[in-house]
Amino acid sequence: MKIECSIDKIKKALVSVERITGKNLTLPVLGSVLWVASGKTLKLRATNLNIGIEIEIPAKIEAEGTVAVRGDILSSLFSILQGDLMVKFELINGNLSVKTNTSTILLKSISHEDFPTIPMVEGESFNISNSKFIDGIKSVYYSASISEIKPEIGSVYIYPEDDMLVFVSTDSFRLAEKKIKIKQKLSFEGILIPFKNVVEIIKVFDGIEDDLKITLQKNQISFSIENIYLTSRVVDGSFPDYKQIIPKNPTTKTVVLKQDFISSLKISNIFSDKFNQIVLTVKPHDKIFEIKSNNADVGENTTIISGALSGEDVSANFNYKYILDCFQSISGDSLDIELNGNNKPMTIRGIGDSSFMYLVMPMNR
Amino acid sequence: MEKKELWDKCLSEIELNISKANFTTWFKNTYIIKEDSGVIHVGVPNEFVKDWLYNKFHKLILKTLIGNDETIRGVEYSIHKHDPKNENKTDEGVVVKKAINITKELPLNDLYLNKEDNLNPKYNFNSFVVGPFNELAYAVAQAIISNPGQNYNPFFIYGGTGLGKTHIIQAIGNTIKINHPLKKIYYVSLERFTIDYINSIQNKNPNSFKEKYRKYDVIIMDDIQFISGKDKTQEELFHLFNTLYESNKQIIFSSDKHPNFIQGLEERLQSRFASGMTVQIVEPDYESRVAIIKAKFESTNCIIEPEIVSSLAESLEGNIRELEGSLNTVICQSQLKNRSLTLAEVKLLIKNNIRPKKTVAIKDIVKIVADYYGLAEEVIYEKTRRKEIVRARQVAMYLLREDFNISYPLIGQKLGDRDHTTVIHSHLKIKVDLKTDPSLLQEIEKIRIMFK
Repeated sequence: MKIECSIDKIKKALVSVERITGKNLTLPVLGSVLWVASGKTLKLRATNLNIGIEIEIPAKIEAEGTVAVRGDILSSLFSILQGDLMVKFELINGNLSVKTNTSTILLKSISHEDFPTIPMVEGESFNISNSKFIDGIKSVYYSASISEIKPEIGSVYIYPEDDMLVFVSTDSFRLAEKKIKIKQKLSFEGILIPFKNVVEIIKVFDGIEDDLKITLQKNQISFSIENIYLTSRVVDGSFPDYKQIIPKNPTTKTVVLKQDFISSLKISNIFSDKFNQIVLTVKPHDKIFEIKSNNADVGENTTIISGALSGEDVSANFNYKYILDCFQSISGDSLDIELNGNNKPMTIRGIGDSSFMYLVMPMNR
Repeated sequence: MEKKELWDKCLSEIELNISKANFTTWFKNTYIIKEDSGVIHVGVPNEFVKDWLYNKFHKLILKTLIGNDETIRGVEYSIHKHDPKNENKTDEGVVVKKAINITKELPLNDLYLNKEDNLNPKYNFNSFVVGPFNELAYAVAQAIISNPGQNYNPFFIYGGTGLGKTHIIQAIGNTIKINHPLKKIYYVSLERFTIDYINSIQNKNPNSFKEKYRKYDVIIMDDIQFISGKDKTQEELFHLFNTLYESNKQIIFSSDKHPNFIQGLEERLQSRFASGMTVQIVEPDYESRVAIIKAKFESTNCIIEPEIVSSLAESLEGNIRELEGSLNTVICQSQLKNRSLTLAEVKLLIKNNIRPKKTVAIKDIVKIVADYYGLAEEVIYEKTRRKEIVRARQVAMYLLREDFNISYPLIGQKLGDRDHTTVIHSHLKIKVDLKTDPSLLQEIEKIRIMFK
């Protein structure tokens, strides 16, 4: 193998690929990145048997070949490597030699015979704007359960509804739902992508302006865009029927400024107890929207926010951390907060944005 | 050949041909799902494994399989999540020995405390055995349920530990909840009540405490005897009591003593506690114990022979809670062995649960009585006829006879070598006096508490 290519492209590709290499697995070759030089491209490939990725880089190829090199070494090397625009790679006695105009490096390789293939997903496929798709999963993924004990809620659930693609995740304490409008009508069964893989998908695809091609198969899903191909395992299970817990007819409706609400929650950060509990009290007739927190060691705090309030008096306890989480997904200035009686769930939406809905379960003392 | 056996054999051969790392990565969690006219379907955990087995190890797998079973012509791979053990069970009818269910006793799944009223739904009257020892309490409970706050208010129930006080008061709450869904009920132990009160002072918000308790229609307060010495809690309870009582809200207390014998209880509370209905629950008699044991076994669908029931009822005296504990041991043991136990086995099982019969040294009783009356112990034994000493001596004799069933001659002999007729006379005298002199009754009750 003898190739020459741009250092920027290699650097960029390695950042994505190295993250995916398997760590602490029994098979050492999974901790490496596979280089395949053939035709006019160099392919960098990595997998941890949960998710697999392949990135193609245009390169000048003088001799074709394959080599596997430890991913952690590659990424630390290329993160500091300076030099001119082109780097030369050559396979010498099974080891990879790297040459820039200033440095000469020899990297030990690992036998690539055992490097697994990355499954090519064959099945129904559709295109969707990448930025929209990433926006969809980014809006909800933080609500998924981190634990893998219940894989169906340790995932982001994606399903089509009319001309929308719906993204949902929950860890049973809160739930986030985002609806993205799409051009074509889709009909596939909902899919569950594991939380860990979703994080990688966001890291890899975020910021790319192009159409994303999604291919679905039983047990497996793939995403491809330009020169990147990524495939992930799909969780076999069914997402809870979450629609039934969303209150249909809220008894108390409020509209408040997002910034006011965030500031008051940040104060609660200082005064809440170890359970992060705040008490939210709304009394529309007295024009009171009050957030109260209290810590036996620090003190207590009551903040009243002005807003448009209507409906019945209500009071409920919440974990303010769960509430703060949702603001990363709400872009507007005002919030539409609805409550449904004492110690019942609360829903939060952005005003004028019906695509996102966030539900927080109350805390029982 | 069985599928599992075949696959295990193949795996052990494959293991020799490839590296250990490769083997554990790719062949862990694989198994044969089924065989379909010569084609073996291998279950694998995910797409990566499926691809790799097919691309890399297909030949090896096929060769090894054919080496073990010549009829095999092909291998297919499919992703399977299910546990191979379940597959075995359904496909081949392999009967897996069922884990013995010894948890029958504690059906915890639907037992939860209702947040609103703090009641435990496990307590109801369906599982309540009524006998002579608690029939009065039961009757009062029924009257309260049909008309809370009207008939017997407050209802004060007292008796020793583990006799069903908590059961009966919680059951009243649960039944009222069903019959009068609009009534607000709250069950609280005195300890919880005290903590609530302390918290409200700490948070400088005593009104929240007052409001919380004043809004209920039925208040059930358990283990009220712990109020002794907590003066401020008593005061708060006193005000709460007055407010609720005046607005005809039902109040129910439980305690291990009669209100008059709770030490350190203010008089105004004492009289209020006793102003409604005061009922004692005593230890169940033999027949009631038989009924309880039978009910217990029926509820767990255990068959038990009559002589075992009567033997259990004879040996397990007193406390119903301990009785239940012993029965659980018996039931659990019989479920484990999957047969009913013999009398000898049952006796062996419960031998540690039987309380030793109360024994007492006569000297100790005399000392307690003497202490109570502020006398030196020796004077009881002396041949003096001073009035206060005579009374103390008579009380001691009465208690020894009444509570410990010691024979008249022995009591006489031990208490200063007196004639047994003296003892009989003393016993009778106190017995008669008790009927006319309530203060004597109080004295004796107080002494009894001391030697319990």
